Amino acid sequence: MKRKKLLSANVVRNLEGSVFIAPWIIGFLIFMGAPIAYSLYMSFHQVRILATGIDTNFRGWEYYQFILFENGSVLYNDLIPFLGQTVIMIPVIIIFSLLIAIILNQQFPGRLAFRTIFFLPVIFTTGQVVLEFIAQGEGGLDFLENYNVSTILMSNLPELWANSIVRVMESFILVLWYSGVQILIFLAGRQTISGSVYEAARIDGASPWETFWKITLPGMIPFIFLNIIYTVVDLFTFPTNPIINRVNTSNYGMSSALAWIYFTIILIFLGIILLIFSRATRAYRAAK
Amino acid sequence: MAKTITNKNRRLNMRLDWSLLRRMKQVLIGKEADQGLLFKIFIYVILIDVAYIYLNPLIFMVTTMVKDATDLLDPAVIWVPRAIYLGTLQDAWVMLDYMSSFFMSLGLATTIAVCQTVFCAVAGYAFAKLQFPFKKFWMFCLILSFIVPPQLTILPILIAASQLDMINEVYPLVLPAMFGHGLKGALFVIIYRQFFSTQPKELEEAARIDGANAFKVFYRVMLPLARPAIVVVFLFSFVWNWNDFYYPSMFLINVDTVPLSMGISRISAAIRAEEAESGPSIFSEPIKMATSFLIILPPIILYMFTQRWFVEGVERTGLVE
Repeated sequence: MKRKKLLSANVVRNLEGSVFIAPWIIGFLIFMGAPIAYSLYMSFHQVRILATGIDTNFRGWEYYQFILFENGSVLYNDLIPFLGQTVIMIPVIIIFSLLIAIILNQQFPGRLAFRTIFFLPVIFTTGQVVLEFIAQGEGGLDFLENYNVSTILMSNLPELWANSIVRVMESFILVLWYSGVQILIFLAGRQTISGSVYEAARIDGASPWETFWKITLPGMIPFIFLNIIYTVVDLFTFPTNPIINRVNTSNYGMSSALAWIYFTIILIFLGIILLIFSRATRAYRAAK
Repeated sequence: MAKTITNKNRRLNMRLDWSLLRRMKQVLIGKEADQGLLFKIFIYVILIDVAYIYLNPLIFMVTTMVKDATDLLDPAVIWVPRAIYLGTLQDAWVMLDYMSSFFMSLGLATTIAVCQTVFCAVAGYAFAKLQFPFKKFWMFCLILSFIVPPQLTILPILIAASQLDMINEVYPLVLPAMFGHGLKGALFVIIYRQFFSTQPKELEEAARIDGANAFKVFYRVMLPLARPAIVVVFLFSFVWNWNDFYYPSMFLINVDTVPLSMGISRISAAIRAEEAESGPSIFSEPIKMATSFLIILPPIILYMFTQRWFVEGVERTGLVE
């Protein structure tokens, strides 16, 4: 008797939960699951939209082969420089936003005004407006041009990396602009480290420098990780991204194949970062 | 004798020096190292520099916008124009068809933002506090929908929309939001999930013992508590949807009134076409800047009113685990 009642309570809980999650799951199936599956299907087919319906024609791996091996211009000319740029941008964004978040977390007069300014990029950096700024050349660092840094880099580094670095520097300010959400995440994360830990460290005679490396940084590791993931996802879906325009309605099958290759690259990229990150944290913990 | 006196004197002098030095050190570096003058100056220098970097393009935008023809041609005028000329702004206003585009954008962004705020909260609460079958699997799906780029799903949705005769309508933009998806929907669900999972379990249990069911707990206890998260999600969602042009440009192909975010690319294209015909014009840059200004003005105003809650909200959401 008692057991039955317990079971039914459990069932009721599951039912309630299901009612709450149902809209999201339905939405996921309609707007995520089905499109993902269909786009995978399309990438192996030639698709034509006719007035009477959709005409599909099986093509196998043809599109993938075409993009990967036959006509490299679609993928390699745009994607590889972009990837190089991303690899450089990620550490810049992460370090910069960590620095700013830690500074903004101090007590000083005018803190609120500065916070207001630092959250501003969250508002702009999502739209076309940023593209306009990039086109205007706003966002470069003038002093770099004065010192001819780019020619020095060009002559001393492999072309791919030099190009990426130069391009990041040309829009360095905009790179900083991308850090809006990351600063937010770090600020929120910094709040999770309790003040008493710092007090204890201070009483034990730790210098602020030591406190940063031994308390703040280890406490921030999960947020650094989160920020890296967020930055990767954000950069890869950003409107300035060259691949986005390549996915269009001119050839459904080809575009889907490209989108899938692109997605695979994102996954590999995330996987590598995860791997490096877990190695690094393990090494860090072991060293401590 | 004399020697010992001078020695003593010297020692005294040295001690004086030391105490002076120490006091100077205390003022400069401070007792606690992060309260000294040097440190404060250092912080302000960095912050002001970065604030300048952040505001620079905005200032450039506003000053370029109000320059008239003579100021634009005069290389001596960089930042401060001699006279404020509002003609460019007016042109941009007309080119954007500002009033109707503004209301289009406002309606669209508000509807989507409200839907996402409400329905992502429901999903986030379920993920944080409730039980349902295959929860781990759905959690995986949530993360998947966070990292899947929109390019992967856009074509099938586009085909479906065209089959259902929904092209050039706003439904394909609004419908996903009503199920807690849409632009960055997964991120909002994750934010809510993090927020709700920091709420103490006792709160819920107390309400349960008082006889409230899950809906009542959510509506009466959890939602009022979630104000910081709601502010953050609503503002993010509104601003991102306001700025987004990828989805609208996919679905709204032949519409008379486009959202403002699409307006800028239309105007850029128009200017480019004009330049190809009659050579570069000095006014093309100011026009673009004026357009940008008109587009980001409403979110800035919204942000100015909500920033207090927003900053607070960010700190208290625990945006992350």
